[in-house]
Amino acid sequence: MTRPDCPPPSRRDFLRTAWNGFGMLPLAHLGLRTDGGAQRRHHAPRARAVIFLYMDGGPSCQDLFDYKPRLIAENGKPFGLKKEPTQFNDNGNTLGPCAKFAQHGDSGQWISDLLPNLATSADRLCVVRSMVADFSEHTNANYFLHTGHGLQGRPSMGAWIGYGLGSDADDLPAFVVLNGGLIPPGGIDNFHSGFLPAHSQGSVLQMRGDAVANITPKETVASRQRQKLALAHTLDTATQQRFGKDPAIEAAIANHELAFRMQAAVPDLVDLSGKSSGESKALQSLYGLDDEYEPTRTYARQCLLARRLVERGVRFIEVTCPDTHHDRWDQHGNLAKGLRDNCRMVDRPIAGLLADLDARGLLDETIVVFGGEFGRTPFAQGGSGRDHNPFGFTMWMAGGGFKPGTSYGATDDYGYKAAVDPVSIHDLHATILWQLGIDHERYTYRFGGRDLRLTDVYGRVVKPLLA
Amino acid sequence: MASLSSCCPAAPFALLLGTLASAVHAQIPPPVGTDEFARRQTTHWAWHPLRTEAPPTSSPHAVDAFLDARLHKAGLQRAPAAEPTTQLRRLWFDVVGLPPPPDAVQRFGADPSDAAWQREVDTLLASPHYGERWARHWLDLVRYAETMGHEYDFEVPNAWRYRDYVIRAIGGDVPYDQFVREHIAGDLLPSPRRDADGNNESVQATAAFWFVEQTHSPIDAAQHQADRIDNQVDVLGKAMLGLTISCARCHDHKFDAIRANDYYALVGFVQSSRYVQAPLQPVDVHGAAYQAILTAQRDLATAWAANAAGTTWPKLATTAPEQWQDEATPPLREGERRLLDSEGSLAEWFVTNDGFAAAPWRGPFCPDASAKTPQLFVLPGAFWHSGTAGARREGTLGSPTFLLAHRYVHVRTAGVGSRIKLVVDGFHLVRDPIYGALHRAVDDPNAHWVTFDTAPWAGRSAFLQCIDQVAPDLADPDHDRSHYPEHGWLAVQTVVLSPHGEAPPSTAGNPLAAAGWSELPANVQQALATLRTAAASLPVSPTIPSLTDGTGRDSHVALRGDHRKPGAIAPRRFLSALVGNEAMPTGPGSGRLALADAVLHPNNPLLARVFVNRVWHHLFGRGLVRSVDNLGALGDQPTHPELLDWLARDAIHHGWSQKHVLRRLLTSATYRQDSRVRPEAAVADGANVLLHRQNVRRLAAEAVRDSLLAVSGRLDAKQFGPSVELPKDAHIEARGRPARSGPLDGDGRRSIYLAVRRNFMPPMLLAFDLPTPFATVGARNVSNVPAQALTLANDPFVHAECARWATQLLATSAADVDARITLAYTGAFARLPSHDELTNCRAFLADTEGSWPDLLHALVNTTEFSYLR
Repeated sequence: MTRPDCPPPSRRDFLRTAWNGFGMLPLAHLGLRTDGGAQRRHHAPRARAVIFLYMDGGPSCQDLFDYKPRLIAENGKPFGLKKEPTQFNDNGNTLGPCAKFAQHGDSGQWISDLLPNLATSADRLCVVRSMVADFSEHTNANYFLHTGHGLQGRPSMGAWIGYGLGSDADDLPAFVVLNGGLIPPGGIDNFHSGFLPAHSQGSVLQMRGDAVANITPKETVASRQRQKLALAHTLDTATQQRFGKDPAIEAAIANHELAFRMQAAVPDLVDLSGKSSGESKALQSLYGLDDEYEPTRTYARQCLLARRLVERGVRFIEVTCPDTHHDRWDQHGNLAKGLRDNCRMVDRPIAGLLADLDARGLLDETIVVFGGEFGRTPFAQGGSGRDHNPFGFTMWMAGGGFKPGTSYGATDDYGYKAAVDPVSIHDLHATILWQLGIDHERYTYRFGGRDLRLTDVYGRVVKPLLA
Repeated sequence: MASLSSCCPAAPFALLLGTLASAVHAQIPPPVGTDEFARRQTTHWAWHPLRTEAPPTSSPHAVDAFLDARLHKAGLQRAPAAEPTTQLRRLWFDVVGLPPPPDAVQRFGADPSDAAWQREVDTLLASPHYGERWARHWLDLVRYAETMGHEYDFEVPNAWRYRDYVIRAIGGDVPYDQFVREHIAGDLLPSPRRDADGNNESVQATAAFWFVEQTHSPIDAAQHQADRIDNQVDVLGKAMLGLTISCARCHDHKFDAIRANDYYALVGFVQSSRYVQAPLQPVDVHGAAYQAILTAQRDLATAWAANAAGTTWPKLATTAPEQWQDEATPPLREGERRLLDSEGSLAEWFVTNDGFAAAPWRGPFCPDASAKTPQLFVLPGAFWHSGTAGARREGTLGSPTFLLAHRYVHVRTAGVGSRIKLVVDGFHLVRDPIYGALHRAVDDPNAHWVTFDTAPWAGRSAFLQCIDQVAPDLADPDHDRSHYPEHGWLAVQTVVLSPHGEAPPSTAGNPLAAAGWSELPANVQQALATLRTAAASLPVSPTIPSLTDGTGRDSHVALRGDHRKPGAIAPRRFLSALVGNEAMPTGPGSGRLALADAVLHPNNPLLARVFVNRVWHHLFGRGLVRSVDNLGALGDQPTHPELLDWLARDAIHHGWSQKHVLRRLLTSATYRQDSRVRPEAAVADGANVLLHRQNVRRLAAEAVRDSLLAVSGRLDAKQFGPSVELPKDAHIEARGRPARSGPLDGDGRRSIYLAVRRNFMPPMLLAFDLPTPFATVGARNVSNVPAQALTLANDPFVHAECARWATQLLATSAADVDARITLAYTGAFARLPSHDELTNCRAFLADTEGSWPDLLHALVNTTEFSYLR
C-alpha cells in the first residue's frame, strides 16, 4: 500500500499515469480507468462511490437539524455558557432558530421546515449531530474538511480515494468536482492532489461554458484536428523508429489518443437535453431542473450529473454550491433570508438525488455526504447572524452502508458543543474510507520523509454509524 | 496543527476543550537516547565528512571515470555519443531552457568537435537566459510565490524583486556559499554585496522567508506563528541541507540525528527576526543628494535660530515664541511602564532602513516637506522623526519585543501617510476581522495619542512597528495605498504601556497653530524651500520584503509540538549533530550571522553535497541521491557516493561556482551519450541507475511554453521587472482573484516572469507539473496526463503561436515548401527532416489547402516537441 514518493520511471508507471489522468480546471487531470495495480482495498467494500454535497460556508445546524427547545426558550436572553473566541468576536445573546422543527418519517428525525423535500427522505439519513472540527476560519477549516489538515498543500479526500481505488470509467476521472459557481475559500487547493501524483487531483467541471478547460477543439474545419493528430502520430512513429522506443514517449503518445476520446466523453456526460441522454422530463423535474429559482436549477443539474458520474464509474464526486448572493452558507447576518434561499437551492435537488439513486439501486453502493466546514454559534453575531462554530455541528450521510433513519451523537442544550459521542473530521474520513474497503491507518503515501495518511495520526471508524 | 513538513500535529484545540472524544492516539516517539543519537550520526552516510577518493584513471574526465568504473563492474558500457544535434538540443534546454535556433543547429551540425562543444557550453553559460533557467530551479526550492494564498490570496508586496535577485545571482555566478549566507543573514552582512549602481543585493535574498503561506485573521496567532516558522525552518532545512528538520517539531526525529531541541534551537533564529520592506538603495547611494539635505537642514536651523527671539511671527502663534515650551514626556502614572522616550535612547529599538534619524528632532516646529505647500508643523518636544530630512527618507522603527502585561499601549505620535501596527506573536498581517484595531493609520501632523487596546492578547508577546514608507504593508486591505500620500513622515515621542485606557495627560497641549508659508520669516521661508528642493531630489528606494532583526529570544521546546505547552528553553544554535551541544554565541538580535557561519562551516558536509546533487539532478533527470531534498535516513542512498563527494570537493575548491559544476558535468561523455534503450543493458540496469544511457526527459513546464514563443518568433528577451498577469479568463471565480487581466501570450515574456499567485497558478504550466508553492520541491513530478495533450491540442495560446509561427515562416526567404518545412523542423526539433517526414508534411499541406498553421500545430503535438532525447 505504501508507495515511495518518487517512483522510478518504469513503463508500467508511465502507462498507469497515462490511463489514470485526465485534466481539470487549471488544466489538471482527469484520471481514467486504472489498472489492477491501483486497486488498494483492504477488505470487501460496502460502497463504491461517494457524492459529497459540500455546503460551503458552514450551514446553521440550529436552524436545520439540531432541534434545541432551550434555544427557543432562551431566545434573546444572555447566553448560558462560556463563549469561545470567534472569528468576528461580535457576540450577542442567545439566538433561537428561525424555522419550525418537526419530526419526520418512521425514524422521527428532527428536520426544520426549511427543508420540506429532504424531510420526506428522513428515513434514508444517518444524521451525526456531534461533529467537531479544529478550525474557526473558513480556509483552514475547508482544508481540514477536505484534506484532514488545516494548511494548504495536502491531497483532498477525493484525491486519496481516487488514487487508491482508481476510476471504473474508461474516459472519466476518478475524482470530479461539479462546480456550481462558487469556489470555496482556499481555492481549488481544496481539490488538489497535493503530494499524490497529479492525475489524482479533482477535475473541476463547470456548469457554464466548456465543462473542462480546452475540451473543445478550436479547428473550424471539422476533420482538421483528426488530420493533425494523424500526422503527429505518423511522425511520432517515425521518430520512435529513428531513436528507438522509449516507455515515456509511448505513454505520451497514448495520452494524445486519450485526450482525443475525452473530447467526446465529456460533452456526452453533460448533455442532459438530448434524447440520448435518457433523462426524462419527469426525472429532471424530480431534481428540480424546472424550478423557477435559478440556483435550484443549477444545483439540480449538478445533482443529476453526480448520479450520471456514479453510473459511469467515477469514484468521488464533490458538488459545490451555486451562488445565492448570500455569501454561501456563511450567515454572519440576515440569517433567515440567507438560509431560506440556500435551502430552497438544495432541498429539492438533494431529495431528488436520494430518491433517484434509491430507485436505481445505486444508493446502496453510494455514500452521500452532506455538510460544511463547521457549524454556527447558537448565540447571535450582531443582530441577525451567527458566527463560525467548529465545536459542534451536524452532518449527514445516506446510502453506502450507513445506517438509515439514524441519529448519532448530540450537542449540549444550546447546540453549541458536541456533548455526546463527538465525531471528528478524521473520524468521518476514516469511516468513509472504511466503507470503500480501505483501512485509513494502512493507507499511506511517503512524502518528505514520512508516510502520510488522510487521517494524519488520528481518526477511528465510527462503527455505530454503519449498517 | 502541524504543517505538511511535520510529523505529528499538535493536539487540535477541540481536544483541549474536551469535545473531541476520538482522542488523539498520536504515537509520540520517545526521546532519542545519547547512544541511539550517536549511532544515527555515525552510521548514516550523510553526516560523514566528504570522502577523498581520487577518480579512477580509466578516463581523462573524472565524472566519466567514476561512472565507467561502476558500469564496468556491472559488465556494461556507456552509450556512444548522441547525434550532435541531439546533444545540442539537450544542452540548450538544460542550460538556458530554450530550443537552439536554426543557425546554432547548422553551426554545430557542421562542426561537432569537442572544441565547438566547449564553445557552445561557455556561450550558453554566459547567456542571460542561463540565469532565468536556473533561477527557476531555485525558486522551486523556496516555494516562490507572489501571494500568501489562503482565503484572500493577499499579495506579498514586491516579491518579484526576489525572482530578479536570483536570476542575477545565478546568472552572475555568485558563489553558492555567499548565496546561502545572503539567504540566512543578507540583511545583517557588514559589507553587503552591491550591484554596479550601489544597490544592496545581499538583503534581497531574505525575501525567501516570506513566501510562506499566511493565514488571514487566525484566531490563535501563536499557533499561526508556530506553523509559519515550521514551514520556514522546513524550507531552510530541505533546500540547503537536504534534511527534514521539521520532522522534529513534536518529538525527536524518528530516523535522523535531529532532536526536537535542534528544531527549536533553529526556531529561535526565525522567531527573533521580523518582516520589513527593506530598501535596495542605502542612502549613501545618493551621497550628493543626501549631503545637500543635511546642509539644508543645518541652514534651516540657523535661519530659525536667527529669528527665535524678538521677531514678529504673524499669525503663527497665540503666544510669543519666547513663551513656547517643549512638551515634556508625560510622567508615568501608577502601574505604567515606558517603552520609548525621546529623551532616552533607541538602543533596544530596531531602526531599519534610513528613515528615522539617529537623534530625536526637537521642536517646536518641524518642516513638513510632504505638504503641497511648504509648511512648518507644530511638534512641541523631542520626537524620533522620519521626515526631518524630507519625506523621501523612509523607514521603520521597531520596538523591542515585550509581553502584553498591560492592557493598553499609548503612543504619542504625529505624522502624515504613515502607520503604526502592533504585531502580536509575530503576526504581521494585521487586518480585520480580529486584528484590525492593532493597525492604525497616522495622518495628523499635530502631536496626538494613538491607543491600542490589547485585551484579547493579554500575556502574548508583541512589538510595535512604526512605519513610514511608500511600499504597501501586509496590513493594508488589498494593498490599497490610495488613502496614503505618495510620501509621508512619522514622528514618535513616547510609548507607554498602561493599565489605563485614557491616554496620559499631555503637559503643554498644543498652543501653536500650523504655520503657513507666507507667514514665515523670509529667511526661514528660503531655508525651508531649499530643504524641500533638496529632499525632493532624493530618489525613493525600491523595497523588497526581507528579514530584519528583532529582540533575540530563544524558543521553548513546545511539548508535543503544542505551543501552549512550553518545555525547556532551546538556546539558538545549529544542528547538534554538526556543532555539538555547546551554546552558540549569537550576539544581540537574532544571531542569524552566527547561524550562517555555522551552516557554511567546513565541518558541514551537507551543504556542498546537496548543492552538486541538485545540479546533477537537473542534467540527468535524477540525482546521485535520488531524493534530492532528503539526504536523511528515509532518503535514498547515493548511487555513486565517491563521485558525489568528489564533485562536492571540486565545487568548494572552485569557489562554490555553479557554472564550474555545470561545465564539469556538461563536458563529460556521460552527459553527451545517447539515450536509446539498449535491450541488453536494460536487463542489467533497468532503471538506468548506472547511467548506461542518458535519460529521455520531458521538458519542464516553462520550457514547453517558452519553446512555443521561441519558434513563433514571439519570445521577448526582456529581463526582470514586475510579473506579467495571466489572462483573467484563465481563472475561476474565487476570493482574491486578481483585478488585472494580462495578455494571452504574456507579452511574449519567458514563463519565469508570469505572475505566481498561489490561488491562481498558470493553468498551462500547472498541467506540465509546475509545483504549487507550499514546500521545497527539488524534483518536480513528471506526470503524463491528458490535460497536457488537451493543452497542446486546444489551448488558444498554442493555436495563436502556431499561427504566428506560420506567418513568420511564410515571410522568410525560404525557396520552397521543402525549405520551409526544413526550417520548421530545425526550429522545433533541432534537426533536419528525413525524406519521409518531408513527404508526410507535404501531403498534409496538400490535404489541407496548404494550411501552415495546422502543419506547425501538428508538429507541436508530436512528442518530439516536448521531450528531450
